[in-house]
Amino acid sequence: MISERLKKTICRELDLDDFEFEDATTAGQVPGWDSLSHVRIICAVEAEFGLRFRTMEVLRLKNVGDLQALVDARMPID
Amino acid sequence: MEEVRSIAELPGGRTATLWDCWRGHAEKEPGRDAIVHWAAGEPPFRWTWGDLLVAATGHAQRLLEMGVKPGDVCAFIMRHHRSFYSLYMAVTALGALPSVLAYPNPRLHPDKFRAGLEGMALRSGLDWVLTDRELEPITGPLLARAGSTVRGLLFPLEWGGDAPKGTAAPPWREVDPDAPCLLQHSSGTTGLQKAVVLSHRAVLEHVRRYAAAIEVRPDDKVVSWLPLYHDMGLIACFQLPLALGVPLVQIDPFEWIQAPCILIEAISQERGSLVWLPNFAYNLMADRIHEEDIAGTRLESLRLAINCSEPVRAESHDKFYRRFAPHGLRREALAACYAMAETTFAATQTPPGGEARRLRVDRESIARGRVVVKEVGESTRVCVSSGIPIPGCELRAVASSGETLPEDSVGEIVIRSVSLFDGYRNNPEKTAEVLRDGWYYSGDYGFVHAGEWYVVGRKKDILIVAGKNVYPEDVEDAVSQVPQVLPGRVIAFGVEDDVTGTEKIAVAAETPLTDDAGRKRLCRTIREAGMAIDTTISHVCLAPPRWLIKSSSGKLSRGVNKERALRDLALE
Repeated sequence: MISERLKKTICRELDLDDFEFEDATTAGQVPGWDSLSHVRIICAVEAEFGLRFRTMEVLRLKNVGDLQALVDARMPID
Repeated sequence: MEEVRSIAELPGGRTATLWDCWRGHAEKEPGRDAIVHWAAGEPPFRWTWGDLLVAATGHAQRLLEMGVKPGDVCAFIMRHHRSFYSLYMAVTALGALPSVLAYPNPRLHPDKFRAGLEGMALRSGLDWVLTDRELEPITGPLLARAGSTVRGLLFPLEWGGDAPKGTAAPPWREVDPDAPCLLQHSSGTTGLQKAVVLSHRAVLEHVRRYAAAIEVRPDDKVVSWLPLYHDMGLIACFQLPLALGVPLVQIDPFEWIQAPCILIEAISQERGSLVWLPNFAYNLMADRIHEEDIAGTRLESLRLAINCSEPVRAESHDKFYRRFAPHGLRREALAACYAMAETTFAATQTPPGGEARRLRVDRESIARGRVVVKEVGESTRVCVSSGIPIPGCELRAVASSGETLPEDSVGEIVIRSVSLFDGYRNNPEKTAEVLRDGWYYSGDYGFVHAGEWYVVGRKKDILIVAGKNVYPEDVEDAVSQVPQVLPGRVIAFGVEDDVTGTEKIAVAAETPLTDDAGRKRLCRTIREAGMAIDTTISHVCLAPPRWLIKSSSGKLSRGVNKERALRDLALE
């Protein structure tokens, strides 16, 4: 399940009004999400959640669900 | 440097082939690093010259048994893999022509990829495709299609073992140095691809001269993330170090673009001295690498960072220097080069030992065709030098009449070179358009000032996005097919983007739609049409019917319509 906050962060970076993200959504399915914008999106997610991902964590991401899981794993539990 | 001078000639005066050079390195220094295969999260895999030649010989014997013959074109469609290098060398050893093609991006529609391959097979006569099993559903139909030139799909990564053992005396016949040694395709997804064929002699002569221009030394080390289907990756970062026996550290392009810090890590760890980068890479690395990811890395070993393949921007050099100077990057390492596949690679290069020069000129004077240097004031443009012609290369700026222009005059850059290609394979019409009386008409505009060349624009409409050439026709074809876009009433053009240091693609398309919701949906569908051909359309301008202007030839004028669209239409 992709959180509203993550979705908004990605849409903002890609200049999209809206997009229906699912766990299995891959970058190639999202307008504007190409290899060049990928690093920008990762940086925006890091800034939004106050996190810093490691290189291997970024390279292992296969879809948006993986990115959500990475954010969740790093966020402090409320 | 004796080694560099002698690469194209063997004792006794015989001209060398690439294989002769590689075998020479293996015999002289079998234990020396040839290629360091870099994959994130794993220890680097080090190919010594001795092991690499044994593996290549083994592969060559297997390919020979499978029926690969001299002159056959062998397309490589493979991911970053340590067996690639010995396979590539094996194809070369047999006198066949390796041709590295881009591995399909998941965004690219399989039908588009297959259509591109079929077009290539028809024009270039692809004989064999070396690929992986994952792509079989896409590549398989190539074999079955009537009239296909493709004789076999090979899956070398399933052959087992990293290094099949070859014998000391390979059973294939010697290759003629004037025979072709590789085939390189330009980008483009429709009928726009052009194939450049180069001989052993052309590549080695070019490497020899270019090495002299950048003063290659035996202790140099090339570090590259560049894909090998691109001339900069293939010639500067692969053929050059292999021919000279200079070690190469090869990074996965897919990994680099996701984690650009890998390049800094590799340069630091391996003490790399030479890198080639397209302009966008300077911005990407300066803006997107966290300090924690490169803590402790040092860049003093970097002798030259050569900016090439896109317009060179002074601000990109500045931000790159500011970002990495604390890590030991030296200002004089900021170099530039002007290159193209048609001249094998480089035509000009800034001399080592000093930063690429800059010239502040009056912006209007460029448009008028006669450059006026203006050190202060508004409305100036900083042009970065691409350097001086490399040995064996001659450049002129010419007017549309063909007349040679004097210094400081902007004209089309035409090039004569000992490393000039003979023509596009099976494409005499395209060849005749660009090759006249031994001069290559580059389609780039530039001028010479104090002996150095400055490239300032393009005559052709080609777009260069992150170092990759994109033909506007491809984008226009794809967008034309979108429902509610008037067919044929589309133009694609580039918009400079200072943040990324490259061009972004915009389209202006006519539509009868007038309601906001419908137009919003259409913008999204247009962007998706770009995705299907692996092209990111960053801006869409929608225009009413009959808005786009045709030129006197009856075609939509990209230049005029671009200016009008940017002035009068909303970028969506």
